[in-house]
Amino acid sequence: MASGLGPLLAIAGKDLLVERRTKTAFFSSLVFALLVLTILYFARDKTAVGDLDLAPGALWVTFTFAGMLGLNRAFALEMGNRAIDGVRLTPAGATEIFLGKVLGSLIFVGTVELTAVPVFVLFYDVPIWRQLPLLLLVIGLATVGFVSVGTLFSAMVVRTRFSEVMLPVLLLPFLFPPIVAAVQLTRGILANRPLSEVSGWLSLLAAFVIVFSTFSLFLFEAILEE
Amino acid sequence: MTRRESALRAARRGAVVTGLALLGLAGIYLRALMFTPVERFQGPAQKIFYVHAPMAWAALLAFLVTGVLSLLYLIMRDRKLDLIASSSAEVGVAFSLVMLTTGPLWGKPVWGTWWSWDARLTSTLFIFLLFVGYLVLRGALHDPEVRARFSAVMGVMALVLVPFIHVTVYWFRTLHPEPVLMKPERPGLPGVMLVTLLSSVAVCTVLYIGFLLLRYALTVLQELKEEEIVDGVS
Amino acid sequence: MEYPDNGAYMVAAYVVTAVIVTGYAASLFYRLRKYVQG
Repeated sequence: MASGLGPLLAIAGKDLLVERRTKTAFFSSLVFALLVLTILYFARDKTAVGDLDLAPGALWVTFTFAGMLGLNRAFALEMGNRAIDGVRLTPAGATEIFLGKVLGSLIFVGTVELTAVPVFVLFYDVPIWRQLPLLLLVIGLATVGFVSVGTLFSAMVVRTRFSEVMLPVLLLPFLFPPIVAAVQLTRGILANRPLSEVSGWLSLLAAFVIVFSTFSLFLFEAILEE
Repeated sequence: MTRRESALRAARRGAVVTGLALLGLAGIYLRALMFTPVERFQGPAQKIFYVHAPMAWAALLAFLVTGVLSLLYLIMRDRKLDLIASSSAEVGVAFSLVMLTTGPLWGKPVWGTWWSWDARLTSTLFIFLLFVGYLVLRGALHDPEVRARFSAVMGVMALVLVPFIHVTVYWFRTLHPEPVLMKPERPGLPGVMLVTLLSSVAVCTVLYIGFLLLRYALTVLQELKEEEIVDGVS
Repeated sequence: MEYPDNGAYMVAAYVVTAVIVTGYAASLFYRLRKYVQG
């Protein structure tokens, strides 16, 4: 089995190429993200819930939902014409396939997220420039966490009948730790709290990402067996 | 001994164990309601604890069995492990339902709120959700080998997740303490109450084993039936 | 009686538990019956 960067990048590249040609999933996710941000903005009593109170939760709920749309397409692409068999025939090992899929999804979801952030700043009037690097780190970590687990689960549900419903049912419990941590971190960052206050959440997020990316990578082999 | 005979034996043992456990549960009811004193500050509702906590423990036990056997299945690929793991999941759902209904019934009178979002309660809620996800996934996969393999992956992931859930809620509560409307006094449990609680834990454990045996027997018999049908067709 | 009057919750919880436990036991026995008689 050939290993290394080549097959990995090939898999990521192929997914992104398909996406670039059709663009449906990307624009759907983006529009979806904007709509969620908008609805959440209006779905509260503005005198009781301030913008800065609502903003972190709104941002992460948006990312979660948009991310799941993006994840579904990762293996849905392969279902047509049993393309997954084609991927298996290549010299890529399970590790390369997994990492390639994750990379493809990360780029996809990451692009949606980074496009949504300026809109978020606009709608909620949050001051992000001071703490932008830290915020980007948090967004990056949480996204890696949920894309890794999401890629594993997408592979499992793609052959079931109601995969669009099954993915959230299986995945959402696993998003609880990273999303809660990300929301608390975002809140602390936007409110300019000292890092020591939120470092606990950062360790939790990092621990989650390390543990679950590793487990997802190893367990993926079992999913791909024939 | 054929598989069918061994399944029937498991069913008989399960029936006996379950029967004994149900009698034991009736005994616990009697002891808790009639022979255990009422706690002064929390009132009779405190007695729900003798049922709620042991059932939650049984749900956790069921979850651990499913998780650990899932991991073992992935290593050893023995189908029996998968059958026990999935049986444990369904039994766990039953215990989780008891826990999720008695919890609020205990919380409202004793803590002033139906659901307190503390670490233990929330973790067991997630255990319930993970059980349901596991069983839904199994229901959607029809090839027995794929089903066993995929749900084992799910089982292992779920096992690893629960400690994270617990820590997340714990930290959230530590950093944002909720105002507790009523704070019941919590002296250590005096002897009589402790005996009731521990007996209840023992009974619920035996009940879990009985249910597991019965459910496992059912799983095997169902599979045998399916194989018969497939053989008949082919 | 110095303690709070919340016996109704206790009764409800004990009843619900009994219903779920015996209900599940009954469902197991019922589902097994089909196979045991064969």
